[in-house]
Amino acid sequence: MIDDFGSADRRFVVRIVLVAGFVILLGRLFQLQYVNAELYGKEAEENSIRNVPKVALRGYVYDRKGKLLVDNRPSYSVMVTPVDFDKKQLPLLSAILAMPETLVVDKIKLGRKYNAFIPTRIKRDISFAELSMLEEHKDKLYGVEIQMESKRFYPADAHGSHLFGYAKEISDVQLDKQKEYYQPGDIIGSTGIEAKYEQLLRGEKGWEFISQNAKGQIIGTFDNGKHDIPPVDGLDLHLAIDGDVQAMAESLLSDKRGAVVAIDPRNGGIIALVSKPDYDLSIFSGTTSPDVWRALNNDEGIPLYNRATLTRYPPGSTFKMLLALTALDKKIIDEHWVVTCPGSFRYGNKIFRCEHVHGTVNVVDAIHRSCNVFFYQLMLKVGLDDWSEMGKQFGFGKQTKVDITEENSGLMPDRNYYDRIHGKGKWTQGYLISLGIGQGEVGVTPLQLANYTAMIANKGKYFQPHALNKTFNKRTKIYTETKVEQREINLSEHTWELVREGMRRVAMAPGGTGWASRVPGIEVAGKTGTAQNPHGKSHAWYVGFAPFEDPKIAICVLVENVGYGGAFAAPIAGLCMEQFLYGEIIRYGKKPMKLEPNLPDEEPVAANQ
Amino acid sequence: MNSFFKEYFDRTIFFCALSLVGIGLLSIYSATFDAYEGRDFYRQLLWAVIGFFAMLSMMLLPLRWLQRNAFRIFFTSLSLLVLVLLVGKRVYGSQSWLGFAGLGIQPSEFVKITTMLALASFLSQSDVKATDLKDLVKSSAIVALPIGLIMLQPDFGTALTFLAMYIPVLYWAGASKFLIIIIIAPAFVAAASIFGTTPFLIVLILLGAGLYKLRNENRFFATIVFGANVVIGFFVQIVYEKLPMYQQKRIATFLDPNNDPLGAGYNVIQAKVAIGSGGLIGKGFMRGTQTQLSFIPKQWTDFIFCVPGEEFGFLGGVVVLGLFAILLFHGVHLASTAKNKFGNLLAMGFTCLFAFHVFVNIGMSVGLMPVIGIPLPFLSYGGSSLVSYMMVAGLMMNVYANRKEY
Repeated sequence: MIDDFGSADRRFVVRIVLVAGFVILLGRLFQLQYVNAELYGKEAEENSIRNVPKVALRGYVYDRKGKLLVDNRPSYSVMVTPVDFDKKQLPLLSAILAMPETLVVDKIKLGRKYNAFIPTRIKRDISFAELSMLEEHKDKLYGVEIQMESKRFYPADAHGSHLFGYAKEISDVQLDKQKEYYQPGDIIGSTGIEAKYEQLLRGEKGWEFISQNAKGQIIGTFDNGKHDIPPVDGLDLHLAIDGDVQAMAESLLSDKRGAVVAIDPRNGGIIALVSKPDYDLSIFSGTTSPDVWRALNNDEGIPLYNRATLTRYPPGSTFKMLLALTALDKKIIDEHWVVTCPGSFRYGNKIFRCEHVHGTVNVVDAIHRSCNVFFYQLMLKVGLDDWSEMGKQFGFGKQTKVDITEENSGLMPDRNYYDRIHGKGKWTQGYLISLGIGQGEVGVTPLQLANYTAMIANKGKYFQPHALNKTFNKRTKIYTETKVEQREINLSEHTWELVREGMRRVAMAPGGTGWASRVPGIEVAGKTGTAQNPHGKSHAWYVGFAPFEDPKIAICVLVENVGYGGAFAAPIAGLCMEQFLYGEIIRYGKKPMKLEPNLPDEEPVAANQ
Repeated sequence: MNSFFKEYFDRTIFFCALSLVGIGLLSIYSATFDAYEGRDFYRQLLWAVIGFFAMLSMMLLPLRWLQRNAFRIFFTSLSLLVLVLLVGKRVYGSQSWLGFAGLGIQPSEFVKITTMLALASFLSQSDVKATDLKDLVKSSAIVALPIGLIMLQPDFGTALTFLAMYIPVLYWAGASKFLIIIIIAPAFVAAASIFGTTPFLIVLILLGAGLYKLRNENRFFATIVFGANVVIGFFVQIVYEKLPMYQQKRIATFLDPNNDPLGAGYNVIQAKVAIGSGGLIGKGFMRGTQTQLSFIPKQWTDFIFCVPGEEFGFLGGVVVLGLFAILLFHGVHLASTAKNKFGNLLAMGFTCLFAFHVFVNIGMSVGLMPVIGIPLPFLSYGGSSLVSYMMVAGLMMNVYANRKEY
């Protein structure tokens, strides 16, 4: 058998097979390209199937009470199919649309680059006048068509600029990264929830198959549309947000710079997330003119910047609870340990100030009356390591991983940090003193502070802060709940009670700095803070939760460059908590009313425009 | 110097391979230029340069070293296939890509080469007989391993190429026509039975005639084989009719894409229109309406032949087919003259590998073959396939250089 290897016989068979293969292919080519060439040539020219994308309806966004926050409204876009468009009609088209000819050409070129056979969007959200003009000149404008689509509409009072974010026409950079799905002119969620949940909100594009001739004129639907793939609508999002609280917080901050973050301590759901100044999201939903963009980008209040998650300020006295919890937990002190406050504290040759002469105070008094001297001394006793370890357990120094937007991780200084900054052994206890009252290097975001407050309200239970409660699929009618990560800091009940009692007195007892956060008929616990600002007036902080015994809302308010937290941040928190707990503002009588900035003994902190 | 060059340097393969790579680059340039400013073209150009050096190094490797280490190389390459299944990237429904330093690599393309090396190394051992049952089992195990791993991805087309290499090599190494018929007949019978009664009968008659001609082998056994094939045919038909409608449709579409003008058939119809409308001399470079207007999905990969077909017409098609024909017949010549058995088998195996890809890929573009996603050697877009086929060309050149050694 082995002599048969590669025998002449076998060579012959192999050659015959090869010859047969080539002859068949050559014959077929000849048939296609010579015999039937005319037929196929005609087919290529005359009858082609083209697929036209059909945009899916973007999902709606609801608040926790089922109130519609982000809606869709119909809008009309002008589409041009690059291969079909007659360049001679360019002046006519650009005149109707009031666009420079060069811009129209650029848009068509961009579409051609992607796929010259698919209509590309020239102008979004055209006016009724433009629409009628186009209809009138329809016969001249080959390859120009009107597509009905939807644009975002915001029916609620809440702006939610940083929370919802905007969905706008896809940029070249974004398109380049995801060219499998998107085409020029598509809408893509770019910030906030719109960006985070883009995949859920956008749904799936559909395709319509149409037959057309070489001039691009549509002959009709292909095969009666039997093969069309209908678009799949996006999922609806149901947020933990309370639209009314959100709107309330926005209006209270309306002429300020600052942020409000409120969290439901029972599950980590975000009730409100406000950053001010903000902007009107609807300017992004149709066409956004470059002027508007420039104005937004150059505004010195940086409205595009999300203060709720990106600013990093020292937390001030709101951080005193952290130190108290550490000291009590490690049994470094108990409730009987006292400090006598003479109004200042000397360490080496440095003097650290207190607001008042508090006399003899224990830990509960020290929180209640915000005695700095107590916490200066306590910080020296506790030391850096335990304190920063506890801070990290409360989530400081790292991102909360909230499902809204990019965030700052803040800074929770520890031994490594000091060694890196000052050199090993080159820093002393004296460096730590101001950390005890939340000043110095420590930096937090309003979101982190709200999360910390929620954890204190919960006696250590942590729920991942999140905006999305559940999604709803309109087709299958199925709700899908968000899974929430949980953990717990285990401290003794007594420790929690002492610190929480201090916070309760801040709001409820005479001499507390947070009395302005009181809510009629409900016990509130809180803490004010003032972040020193080397560039001007201090930033006002307030953190708090209510009701005291069964917390349903935890809140953090930041107002930049105004002064004391008790005067400027606490009243805002009080009104937001009232709105959330009662569903309305009751303090001015039973009839629901919009807020008047008329708090006793207060500067007008909140003006409703 | 010149005669030395002539003696050791296979100008035929070198010329054909580089010409085909050149045509492929032009086609990719034309098919993708509009879309992303030629990025795909430059990427492919880079791969072609890499492939060129890979080809030269394959030519210069000592053949004996390859023969001795064939199995080590083979198993190393199989471990890549396992890796792909574990951490690979999914593209078009099969997990066949390995991300590596920012580049996607498809190990299955390279495993074709290493499998052939292992197969040739095994079959060239002096005590191995291709027809002995024991050795037949061993050699089929060599092929079954990569096929199994690739079917897990799953990539049916690529898995099939291994058989397209193995069966002819088996024949070349001495297996009888009878054995080959036994192996391949069931596939044809099964396909024909789905097509309908007439094709089924025709295939059965052909099979009967073939077996009758070879009856000297073993008349009784031949009858059994024939009977078994009849049973297979009916069995397949019964199973097919029991399948849910959509699966039937899928199989029917696979066998005849014209059944589904918007799914698999969409490509085929558009490809035929592109090629047919090219006419005798084509529409000119970068002037093919079908090509330029992206009517053909995945055109620069599996349907690349449409580009020369449309833009250079029958002329272009003949040039491409001609270059492949020169390459393949040269490969057969090489396999017939190389004295070294290992090199001889390599030349035959690689020639068949090319032949299968060329016939199936171009056959698919002109609507004669089912749509099996396998690339056209040297032309299709894709780094792994380009580099691996250039390596194959290099190995064939290596066989040429060593053709006089035993």
